Amino acid sequence: MSLSRVDGFRLAGVATCAPPLVVDNSDLGKDFGADEVRKVVSMAGVRRRRVVEPGITATDLCFEAAAALLEQLKWPRESITGLILVTQSPDYFLPSSSCMVHKWLGLPDTCAAFDVGLGCSGYPYGLYLASAMLKAGGHQRILMLHGETPSRFTSPDDHATTLLFGDLGSASALELAPDGPSGYFCLQTDGTGYDGLIMRGGGFRDRTPENPRHRYLEMDGAGIFNFTIKRVPPLIRDTLAFANLNVSDVDAFLFHQSNRFIMKHLAKKCGVPEERMPFTLDEFGNSGGPSVALALTYGLREAERKARRVMMVGYGVGLSWGSALVELNADAALTHATYSGTVARL
Amino acid sequence: MNQNEALAWLAGIFEESPESLRPETPRDEIAAWDSLGVLTLMAELDEKFNIQLEADDMENMKKVQDLLAVLERHGALTPA
Repeated sequence: MSLSRVDGFRLAGVATCAPPLVVDNSDLGKDFGADEVRKVVSMAGVRRRRVVEPGITATDLCFEAAAALLEQLKWPRESITGLILVTQSPDYFLPSSSCMVHKWLGLPDTCAAFDVGLGCSGYPYGLYLASAMLKAGGHQRILMLHGETPSRFTSPDDHATTLLFGDLGSASALELAPDGPSGYFCLQTDGTGYDGLIMRGGGFRDRTPENPRHRYLEMDGAGIFNFTIKRVPPLIRDTLAFANLNVSDVDAFLFHQSNRFIMKHLAKKCGVPEERMPFTLDEFGNSGGPSVALALTYGLREAERKARRVMMVGYGVGLSWGSALVELNADAALTHATYSGTVARL
Repeated sequence: MNQNEALAWLAGIFEESPESLRPETPRDEIAAWDSLGVLTLMAELDEKFNIQLEADDMENMKKVQDLLAVLERHGALTPA
């Protein structure tokens, strides 16, 4: 089991950025049948979704989230020495999307920038990497961006995925804090399920797939649900035990917003009261791993933002799953915005 | 749980009348046993019996008897 404790860092803030275009699933009854849409909406809990227009990418969304966060934190660009961008929706195979954001934000040459290819589990993985870099020395401040545009993966004839996914970018700011609280992480993988969520074509194994369906996401819904109910409850239990805490000690459980039915089942199985598990599916859909950040910036209502100790949980494509149990300062910057496309880029 | 109780439980999940389900009833005669119905079934199996299906189980679910066999294998069904 991969359990880690990282001391001496602080999550200074989290920002999210969603595209302005709203798709109402009830308008798609003509494509998939009204009953079918009603069933999926009722089970998945996705009434509306935010999706990007052609030409807008996860990198764009992450950039605006990062710009807003830096503005709020008043962090000088020169103080940032690490930029991690977690995504499975890159602009290009090469270069890394993080290098583009590095330019647009005007970050210094002394900043390490790299991409990490993870999806639904990406948030706790990204947070762990950023905190471990801080702990390793040589860094004071690191940005961890996580963005996805799953709406661009879905085949128009596949209602199970088309009605589910939305798009989102996020930025999280971490800094060294020698007296800061400890963060607890558990990161795991079951590669035997690598084809449970897969886009078979477009990569170097099959650059130009003959089967057009291979250009889109294939999802084994039952297999993924099975994986989730097997793996997530022990993940939460083991992380809490490692931190010597109970469910009641955690103010909010910020889950990857996968599907309302699955999340409610997990909450029940793990003994997590639903009022401590924010849902954003209704308005935003499943926006992949960055939805963990949205649960924090948007899902927690203003009155509940005093939540201090939060467990972030990601699970899905890989198959990969992970948790991050961290404490937030009362002054942590939490902000959510709609993508404008007008924020100045260097 | 005996077989009749198991059939009644499955009928409840799939919104069928209890008397309409028999071990030999094929999956395609049960309207609610579709891709979403499978998720409901899996959640109920997990919640009521702490049973998580294996990949083979999911591939081989063709009729009600296959579900009864899963329950029996996990000790949730009294053998007939």
